[in-house]
Amino acid sequence: MNIKRALAVSRRVFMDLKNDKRTLALIIIAPLFAMGIFGLAFSGQISGVNVIVVNDDMGMATPMGQVYLSEIVINNLDPDTLSITTMDDVASAVAEIENGNAYAVFYFPANFTNVTILAYNQMTEASTSVDIHIDMSNVNVAEAIMQAFNDAVQTTMQQRGLEMPVTIDRQAVYGQNASFMDFFVPGIMAFVVYILTTLLTLINFVGERTSGTLARLTATPLRESEIVAGYAMTFSIVGTLQALLLLTVGMLVFGVNVEGNVGLAFMVVALLAIVCQALGILLSSITHREAQAIQLIPFIIMPGFLLSGVFWPLEALPLWLRPFSYLVPPSYAIDACRSVMLRGWGLEMIWTDVVALIVFAAVFLVLAVLSLKRRG
Amino acid sequence: MLSMHAIKVEKLDKKFGDFKALDGMDLVVRKGEVYGLLGPNGAGKTTAIKVLTGLLKKTSGDAEVLGVTIPNKDITQKIGYMPQETALYIGLTVHQNLEFFGKLFGMDKAKILERETELLKFIDLEKWRDELVANLSGGMKHRVSLACALIHEPEVLFLDEPTVGVDPELRVSFWNFFSKLKEKGITILITTHYMDEASHCDRVGFMRSGKLIAEGEPQAMLKEAGATSLEDAFLFFARRDRT
Repeated sequence: MNIKRALAVSRRVFMDLKNDKRTLALIIIAPLFAMGIFGLAFSGQISGVNVIVVNDDMGMATPMGQVYLSEIVINNLDPDTLSITTMDDVASAVAEIENGNAYAVFYFPANFTNVTILAYNQMTEASTSVDIHIDMSNVNVAEAIMQAFNDAVQTTMQQRGLEMPVTIDRQAVYGQNASFMDFFVPGIMAFVVYILTTLLTLINFVGERTSGTLARLTATPLRESEIVAGYAMTFSIVGTLQALLLLTVGMLVFGVNVEGNVGLAFMVVALLAIVCQALGILLSSITHREAQAIQLIPFIIMPGFLLSGVFWPLEALPLWLRPFSYLVPPSYAIDACRSVMLRGWGLEMIWTDVVALIVFAAVFLVLAVLSLKRRG
Repeated sequence: MLSMHAIKVEKLDKKFGDFKALDGMDLVVRKGEVYGLLGPNGAGKTTAIKVLTGLLKKTSGDAEVLGVTIPNKDITQKIGYMPQETALYIGLTVHQNLEFFGKLFGMDKAKILERETELLKFIDLEKWRDELVANLSGGMKHRVSLACALIHEPEVLFLDEPTVGVDPELRVSFWNFFSKLKEKGITILITTHYMDEASHCDRVGFMRSGKLIAEGEPQAMLKEAGATSLEDAFLFFARRDRT
């Protein structure tokens, strides 16, 4: 291995990226685009859901005057999540759900306040209920509605001094005050580097094969290992710069907080970039034209998207599918970056992820060199 | 090792599956000569060059370049190869391409610049030094490709169909380049299927079905075949080979 020749290759790839304004724009804009779009889309709260309240509650006479518990619950419904209108009868309200104009109807019966208060004071065996008619066809929206209603009921009980016998006291071990973006940025850093490094190397290398430059290189003193090393140098640097860019914008625009050593996270990203460039070279050996390389793109993106844990926690995968996430290199990098940046962990805690990435790098680098050595 | 031969090939075979691209090829190219390998498409010319430059593995037989058995990475320092395709980094400038290939041969910056100035003058592209290769015409790309093959002052030059798709004017100037290179003592093995061009060579070899069927000086070949053109001469030798 001659380091000067490897450096020449590295510089050559750099210049190729730099001279091509479109690729350069892709390298800079795509990560920010991904962070912006995904970050905003996934962190978005559900809001403005149309619900209808039908309130027949007669209230209850108390020494302080007539009390309507239903009114208090309704006032406690989160006005951001729910957009509330009132109607007089349940049948026409439910018809609105059937027409697709509303997601839910909350119906408070006439005895709502009366029975609730009597039952709480153990003065009656009777019980009352709120009827909720709900369109469950959108699971996320339905859950948000139920959550909002439960919250309103709990708040009401607390306000009236009707306390639950059990309270839950949450103490965050990690991630106290962590926002969605704090959680998302470390993941997207690694994810973007995975996608872009693999694709850029793949495209660049298919170009080397189709244009004949790879053949020409074979007739020079340049060795296969030096080609791979040169690409690895360039893309580990490009990957780190992309991560730096994402983090900077994340901090400035989205107010992202970092707990741990950012340098360690960048090292993990650089390692991932080395794995991915080798993967790109390897994939280029099974394609003969750009068009075939493009067909591979879904096979690069989808596993990373679904199995790396960047958007959905791995715990959300069916049990039988989870082991496959171990086959996807970004899984380790995402886990490591999150642990470092959210939990403030050091190398002594994330070493298993780092070792996994090193093993991937070693295997893919060797395979990439072998794929280049293969001659007709 | 001292040798009078720049290239020496004996009983060289190259098979792709059942297909014999080279079938017991023998060839000797002397130092300092321009040797033209002629033959129709599929005769094995390009395969021969690819084996000699280390791009393909031989199936059997012997092949030496400058006395060294190939494949051998060390010998690449002394050979230049211009492939059939333009094979340049089109996203790089002319200068960046030359610099890159120079570095691969271990040349330092000053030496590369010196060679670059010489070569750009030689191929008449001095004004285009900082232009992206993508923006050059086809003929210009061919000339840059030749310059890249020459950057490290090779002793043996392999040119695979350098004049395919090149306009007549540029073809003439290419042959002028080649004869200037010969004056500097460079050995050139060139493949072409333009038979008329081969008269510029010191010697030509006719290839057919993976082997050499006849070789000699162009004039002598014409005489032996009783032909007025190398094309007719080729047909004569091809007929003789069949019988």
